[in-house]
Amino acid sequence: MLLWENTKLKFLKLFKIKINPFNNFVATGEIKEELDFVNSRKHFMDSISKFIDENQNFILPIIGDIGVGKTHLFWALKKKLKEKYNIIYISLENIYRKFFYNLYSEFIEELGIDNIRKITQKLCNKWRGLEKKYGFFPIPNIEKAKSNAYSEWKDEFDSPSALNDIINVIISHQLDPYKRIDAEDYLLGELMNIRELSMLDVENDLRNRNNAFTMLKVLIENSKLGTIIFIDDFDKLISLMKEEEEIETFFDSSWLYGSEESSDNIVAKNILDKIAKLQHIKNLKKIITLNSKISLIEIKKIFRQENLDLLNHLKEPMFLSDFQEDDIYGFYQSTIQKFLESIDSKKTLANLKNSYYPMNENTLKKIYHRSKGNPRDIIKKLIREFNEIIYHDKFIND
Amino acid sequence: MKLASKNIIFDSVKNIRTHGKYNGSIIVMCKNEHIILTDSLNFVDNIIEIGKGLIIGFETMISNKREAFSLSSNFKFDLNNDALDYCVQIPEDLIEKFDNERFSNEFPYTINLLHSAGLLLNENQLRINHLDFFKGEILKNPIALIHNGICIADRVVIDESSNPIFYGTLIIGRNKKDKLSVSYESIVNVMDKLIKYIIIIGIETIK
Repeated sequence: MLLWENTKLKFLKLFKIKINPFNNFVATGEIKEELDFVNSRKHFMDSISKFIDENQNFILPIIGDIGVGKTHLFWALKKKLKEKYNIIYISLENIYRKFFYNLYSEFIEELGIDNIRKITQKLCNKWRGLEKKYGFFPIPNIEKAKSNAYSEWKDEFDSPSALNDIINVIISHQLDPYKRIDAEDYLLGELMNIRELSMLDVENDLRNRNNAFTMLKVLIENSKLGTIIFIDDFDKLISLMKEEEEIETFFDSSWLYGSEESSDNIVAKNILDKIAKLQHIKNLKKIITLNSKISLIEIKKIFRQENLDLLNHLKEPMFLSDFQEDDIYGFYQSTIQKFLESIDSKKTLANLKNSYYPMNENTLKKIYHRSKGNPRDIIKKLIREFNEIIYHDKFIND
Repeated sequence: MKLASKNIIFDSVKNIRTHGKYNGSIIVMCKNEHIILTDSLNFVDNIIEIGKGLIIGFETMISNKREAFSLSSNFKFDLNNDALDYCVQIPEDLIEKFDNERFSNEFPYTINLLHSAGLLLNENQLRINHLDFFKGEILKNPIALIHNGICIADRVVIDESSNPIFYGTLIIGRNKKDKLSVSYESIVNVMDKLIKYIIIIGIETIK
């Protein structure tokens, strides 16, 4: 066993196993971010959560420069609001094809199978799917449940065949033991073959957009928690709309196909239509992220042209600003602390005079000013500094 | 949980009689140790009428042999005949809990009996004890009459010592002051000696 008398040396040795505590400078919707928001953003977080609680069916734009931490905001919101909301991250890049199906898949992953079971149970109880024989023994009455469900929902949904499918699946899931497993697969978004579909007495699985939308609406509206969709990089929509004007091509597709619109333009309009359709889901709140005020003006313009309802629900933006100088110190310390916890050495720095070791206050200050407070730049520079320490034995004086 | 007076329809010991029409989950304890379960009951002029109820208990088919039975029927009791011990309506919140904790009938490792049968009977001369036979098994829909109360459970498991463990159980009975009470317990362990009988309700009966 090694007994380290020199804690600084011990700390540096930990880095020598080639782990850089600052290894992630781009947040994504897939990889969980553990770090909290820095102090200067706490107020921002409080106002955004207050806004979410007090408003319904809104589209809230969050504006911030590239690298300011808009995607990190998703993880921070998820952490802060996990008791009250299911928060789903979507990037337009990934889900413009099979929009509702992909959105449903993300939602299911967030909701979890236990909650799905609770929802289907609640619905079947509401539809009086279980009758009590002698006051104590529940007996399923599938036909009665179906008829109650259909008469309750027939005016709320556009597609009767999708509604029929969804009701059949929910009722089979709760009341028909022989179909329960297939129904659960359906609810989890599994692709079904004809045999499974006919077993459940449904026409389409959730690849059908009407079915996916109907199921999404049913689950969101009956979930115990509210639901927020966090649509990152909404600017993508602007670029899709503008692609035609900006890109110079040798081949003009309209020569062959006679269409005046580019395929990107059609995709963008489709996405807008689908987002507009989401407005019909109660309890669904939407947050979009944009890079600048100009993007917001463009988005408003597009909404005005394509769908006034979306424009009416678009709220005043909130601005996510860069780090303040004090934030870099707190951010640095909490990252190092998380790093040490992850390698089970959290007390290593406890007795050091310089609590920013192996950096120091001055170096951090310089990094802050060089990167003008942009969090992504700050992290990139910290990565570089630590790589110097790890690979080239750079030593910063206290 | 002490029962609210509105839930006690009739109590022969405390002489409580709350006339009216009742719907929900109602249990009637007869003085001959039969139990009646029903979802509707009418109590007017000291007459209790049950439209459709399930009576369960043990009966003597041939001498020296007792058989468990369950029978769906309508009933009419004149309270002056002193046939009933008590009659209570289970509060809705307890029934909701009871329902939520239920296993599905089709849970793969549970045994559903087709027809009601006696699992245990502790009578001086006529004893039935099939607990050993079902050791380690999960049986659905047991009803037990214990020293001072009734256990209606979702399932019963017979442990390695041949003691029944009731899961998801409503317990209806009298406390030390003879007041009627009802409670819900997730797990109830009872020594088999304290049990007067356990009947497993057959699924054909409650279809």
